[in-house]
Amino acid sequence: MTTLAIYSNKGGVGKTAAAVNLSYLAAQTGAKTLICDLDPQGSATYYLRVKPKLKSGAKGFIRGGKEVYRSIKGTDYDNLDLLPADFSLRNLEVSFDNLKRSKKRLRKILRPFKTEYDFIFLDCPVTISLLAENILNAVDYALVPLIPTTLSVRTYGQLLSFCNQNNYDTGKIYTFFSMVDRRKNMHRDIIAAVSKTYSGVLQSFIPYLALIEKMGIYRAPVAEFSPESVASRSYQNLWNKVQKTVLSQSKHH
Amino acid sequence: MQHNLKFKLPDGHNEKQFFGKLADRYAIIREPTVTERFTICDTFDWRIFNKSMVFFASGNRLFLRKLAEDKIRYSAESPSFPFFIWDFPDGELRRQLAPIIKMRALLKLVDVQSRSVPYRILNPDEKTVARMAYEEFHPRRRKNKSALVTHLWLRPVKGYPKYLRTLARLFQEAGLKIIKEEDVFFKALEVVDKKPGDYSAKLNIQLDPNMCSDQATKIILCFLLQVMRINEANIEKDLDTEFLHDFRVAIRRTRSALGQIKYVFPVKTTDRFKKDFAFVGKLSNALRDLDVYLLNEDKYKAMLPPMLRNDIDPLFDHLRKKRSKALQNVIRGLKAKKYAKILKDWEAFLNKPQRDSETTSNAKRPVIDLSRNRIYKKYRNVVKVGSQILENTEDEMLHVLRIDCKKLRYLMEFFSSLFPRKKINVLIKQLKKLQDNLGDFNDLRVQEEYLLNIIKELPATQRQLKTTLVAIGSLVGALGRERRMVKETFADTFTDFASTGNKELFQKLFASKAKEDVA
Repeated sequence: MTTLAIYSNKGGVGKTAAAVNLSYLAAQTGAKTLICDLDPQGSATYYLRVKPKLKSGAKGFIRGGKEVYRSIKGTDYDNLDLLPADFSLRNLEVSFDNLKRSKKRLRKILRPFKTEYDFIFLDCPVTISLLAENILNAVDYALVPLIPTTLSVRTYGQLLSFCNQNNYDTGKIYTFFSMVDRRKNMHRDIIAAVSKTYSGVLQSFIPYLALIEKMGIYRAPVAEFSPESVASRSYQNLWNKVQKTVLSQSKHH
Repeated sequence: MQHNLKFKLPDGHNEKQFFGKLADRYAIIREPTVTERFTICDTFDWRIFNKSMVFFASGNRLFLRKLAEDKIRYSAESPSFPFFIWDFPDGELRRQLAPIIKMRALLKLVDVQSRSVPYRILNPDEKTVARMAYEEFHPRRRKNKSALVTHLWLRPVKGYPKYLRTLARLFQEAGLKIIKEEDVFFKALEVVDKKPGDYSAKLNIQLDPNMCSDQATKIILCFLLQVMRINEANIEKDLDTEFLHDFRVAIRRTRSALGQIKYVFPVKTTDRFKKDFAFVGKLSNALRDLDVYLLNEDKYKAMLPPMLRNDIDPLFDHLRKKRSKALQNVIRGLKAKKYAKILKDWEAFLNKPQRDSETTSNAKRPVIDLSRNRIYKKYRNVVKVGSQILENTEDEMLHVLRIDCKKLRYLMEFFSSLFPRKKINVLIKQLKKLQDNLGDFNDLRVQEEYLLNIIKELPATQRQLKTTLVAIGSLVGALGRERRMVKETFADTFTDFASTGNKELFQKLFASKAKEDVA
């Protein structure tokens, strides 16, 4: 079993689209896959046509165990299940803070699912505090989408120094480029610079495409409604890179 | 967790009408039809069916499931159809099947085609909340193509239990019944006139205790003749080694019955057929020996030091060549007039009414008496010979004891329906342990001798000959060591068999009448 977070400490970088498409592609290989929508906005849940509702809300989520299990919904796709979002998850941060071992709660909540699923994907809200630490403690790898802009790269640098200061293994953090416009010189230059500066950069680009935004209309992964599209192939390419570069190496946990 | 539900459509019910009605209530999407072909397989003696399992091949995939269950227990991919267990890819499926089918070939029994039309039920968000499928099975390559089985599946989607409950209720209100105990396996085999479990090498003879002994003996012999007939037809096809084996066991049992169930037929008749069946048995001795060596190839190689394992290949190549000649000899023998006449006369004898003579003193005795008498005498004989061996272990005596045990075993099996099943099975099991020990010892001794003799036959010009001889020598040594180990365990094995507990049980089941006889 492998747990992957699609995580960023910056908003609007294509996290949810990546989480939905990658988990779909993982499930297509025959692997039992769970996508957990931790974002109270519930975009992944919406894409998969499920109502954003957890049985007993965030409270039940924190208790873990059976109650979380009963909230899981089968998606329309073979081998892919969803743990839906719930608006009450917006208080997750505060709720964790009131508990013992507050940084490792999420890991404990996910533990029972590890026997049933081959892959667990976490679609994470924007955070760089206690929830971020919970995520880093819970997962084997974190995939960070990176828009090739100065601000985005700066935020990524902040994430890495946060990890270093708090003794989180930066080796489990990988990044890929998202919303790329290769016509822009700046995007090309930043991609080259980032690839040189940082390790763990997957050489895979998700272009900036209207089709990806249409996921909100079709409410399905792009490979489902437009399998031959550039968007679909970009995610397939990214998933191949993840399998080859990230999953093939020995696990950190 | 909710499970898949399987429904049967009532007679004359049309699935399209049914879905039409359902569509008034739910948004339903029909998905493309899926057609699959598969072939149901088993061994000639139904070993997989006897374990309540079904094995089938579809394309290059192999599947094993339980009878009357739809869930696939084990599956594997294989580029070509595996006729034998050693053709299977390594994996769980092979590990499961190996102890079941052993050395028997898998036969393709019937081709079936399945047609499945999947449907999805959507909620107002157009999210799939339940799945259905209409499924039909047809026989392939048959004139009558009407469906063997049709049914409707209702499958839950995790997290939407209410939809499933409502749908299941609607299905039942429409007259659909949930089915569990149904298997397309039986229907498909019916089409090709095959009856699961209709052949077994095991003796399955029902006798009445008060039956006359001659009549009972004929029932036993008729059963054995049938086994010979069924297998003889398949020996020529050379599908696997066990047709010949079962054929030979039936002959051996026939000879044993003629010798052991005494004075039920005229001596002249008994003597003639004893000689005849000895002749028929000998026809295939060489072939069976070679089969055994070749079946043991892997075991033999494993007994050798790794560096000699390939050196012994020329021996097996030689044995394989010899085997194909031996098979031709057997086929010729079974086609010869002499064999045909023996079996024809034998059949005629078994079917015609008995004529009494002074040598048939046991013919009209109730079979329960005669069987008790014979089994108990043979048992005492086995204990006597075995006890002598404990004092002085001679290889020759072990051979004599092995033959006596075999005779006892056959007698117990012929007449087992006359005695309490559990009790006689306990004794047969005890006897089998002793027989296994004696059988192993004898096999090893014969194999050592055979290997030493075969050296003379190996072509002398081969460059590899020297290394092959070293390998054979090493194998003979290993067999000898194993034989001595087997021999060392004889004393314990025999003492277990001759224990007071077994003795009392033998007495209880078989002695009462026997004692009167002696008196």
